[in-house]
Amino acid sequence: MVLVLALGDLHVPHRASDLPAKFKSMLVPGKIQHIICTGNLCIKEVHDYLKSLCPDLHITRGEYDEDARYPETKTLTIGQFKLGLCHGHQVVPWGDLDSLAMLQRQLDVDILVTGHTHQFKAYKHEGGVVINPGSATGAYSSVTYDVNPSFVLMDIDGLRVVVYVYELIDGEVKVDKIDFKKTATMHA
Amino acid sequence: MRKKPPPSPAPAPAARAAARAVPEWLNSPLWSASTPSAAPDPYGADLSPPPPPPPKPPPPPSYEQAVGSSRRVEEEEDEEEAGGGAALRAHLLADFKLALSKKLVNMGELRRLACLGVPDGGAGVRPLVWKLLLGYLPTERAFWPHELEKKRSQYSAYKDEFLLNPSEKIRRFEELKLLRKKELNTDNIGLLPRSKVTNEEHPLSFGKSSLWNQYFQESEILEQIDRDVKRTHPEMPFFSAKTNQESLRRILIIFSKLNPTIRYVQGMNEVLAPLFYVFKNDPDPSNSASAEADTFFCFVELLSGFKDNYCKHLDNSEVGIRSTLSKLSQLLKRHDEELWRHMEITTKVYPQYYAFRWITLLLTMEFSFNVCIHIWDAILGDPEGPPDTLLRICCAMLILVRRRLLAGDFTANIQLLQHYPSTNIDHLLHIANRLRGSVAS
Repeated sequence: MVLVLALGDLHVPHRASDLPAKFKSMLVPGKIQHIICTGNLCIKEVHDYLKSLCPDLHITRGEYDEDARYPETKTLTIGQFKLGLCHGHQVVPWGDLDSLAMLQRQLDVDILVTGHTHQFKAYKHEGGVVINPGSATGAYSSVTYDVNPSFVLMDIDGLRVVVYVYELIDGEVKVDKIDFKKTATMHA
Repeated sequence: MRKKPPPSPAPAPAARAAARAVPEWLNSPLWSASTPSAAPDPYGADLSPPPPPPPKPPPPPSYEQAVGSSRRVEEEEDEEEAGGGAALRAHLLADFKLALSKKLVNMGELRRLACLGVPDGGAGVRPLVWKLLLGYLPTERAFWPHELEKKRSQYSAYKDEFLLNPSEKIRRFEELKLLRKKELNTDNIGLLPRSKVTNEEHPLSFGKSSLWNQYFQESEILEQIDRDVKRTHPEMPFFSAKTNQESLRRILIIFSKLNPTIRYVQGMNEVLAPLFYVFKNDPDPSNSASAEADTFFCFVELLSGFKDNYCKHLDNSEVGIRSTLSKLSQLLKRHDEELWRHMEITTKVYPQYYAFRWITLLLTMEFSFNVCIHIWDAILGDPEGPPDTLLRICCAMLILVRRRLLAGDFTANIQLLQHYPSTNIDHLLHIANRLRGSVAS
């Protein structure tokens, strides 16, 4: 039972001042084992805050990140799953699922986590699953102002992943969950 | 036990000395842990006339006689070659086997034998004896298979209920309700279906009824258990084995969940260790395989007499650890007032400085592992029950080193009692036996 927090596109301080209070009250240290962040934090303070939640932090570079040392893509293995991380502004057209599927095949991962569109998505194709945790602060994107703050918490348990989606809609936190299992065919 | 001489208006030195004198048998060098020194006893026991012989406490005659007679035989044989001792052990082992083979085990007889100690080479005997003494097995042999079956399956049920983490629990729950008829393993391409989370059942929840919340709140206890299990008897390869550590861990976790008032207290792992060791090393493979389940129930039983000592809220009450320590004090005062006075009044060495560990850990840290198991034979076997027997043994431990204690100050005595010297256990148990009688409240 490994808990992995996936979030990104916070755009602090340029487009948002902080995470919503309701999200912050839920995110306490000690519960989460890994954090994967799609990028666009943008400043060190956010990095430090995430580090305080969990020491195992993985970040990829978004186009507005001030720290230039984050990698463009990252892969890691958690339990039985290989996860890939990329901000997503590099993949054109932005948010296009076929292009993201290509990236996924390139990185050779079961789950690809990308951002940039500030819209939550969880999509399955033959190569695996693509998850977009959206924007954790609800910052406006290059495409739209209508953004609900959201992030994702994955519970990886053996060959099964339960994805909990946390969204702030009209001031209330709504939680949904998505179940999927890794099969032998998912990986050529 | 010890009669005080009648008080006189102007206490003469002899009478005063007699008031502080100690019963004859206590001063015999046979009982002293240290070698008898050439210096005369500074407290004048040598100088005063011996007090009138103390009236014997009224124990069940057959028990006392039996123990007394065996002891005398052993003392005589101490001087002879070891061959004599071996014969006695073989005889004792045969006695045990005879007692255990009866259709209806005679508990009185078994207790009498247990107090003599299960002899070495009795590896198959001891687990059975302990299980009977702790009431895990009924006295009728015929019921044993049924009882074992019942208890062991109950333990399996406990494991299922308490050892799963929230992910697994939720999954099982859903599988039971067949909610996921829609196969997740669909090869359908497309947006993954979302389902609502009910009852705040998500990992970051702070809901009172949330499985996740409860899990994280208990995680501190689980970490403590984990740490203690890894530190149990590191010098023994038995306890370094991962499987054994896992078993100890599971037992302690289930115990803590079934007993929310005391949960887990540091040190319970030490009390658990000898039980598990003895049961796991049972030569009978079916018993050894179920050692974890058997140990769990015996552990519960053993701790039931001592539960109040572990409950923080009861610390200062009439049944908590402080009261137990004061009982020890009273016991010492009753049997050896001179030593009591020296300890409590002169040097202010109160029981909480040394006896806390003795009592809460049932002496597991004061003696070597094998010696400890031998003492536990007596603690479990005594008809007075483990709590009272333990107090008597603690008192006997003090009396055994009385010479050194009387000569020592605060620092020396604390040092001595916190690192109790190795002694002849048979002597220790014999003295504990002589302190029989109601434990003063």
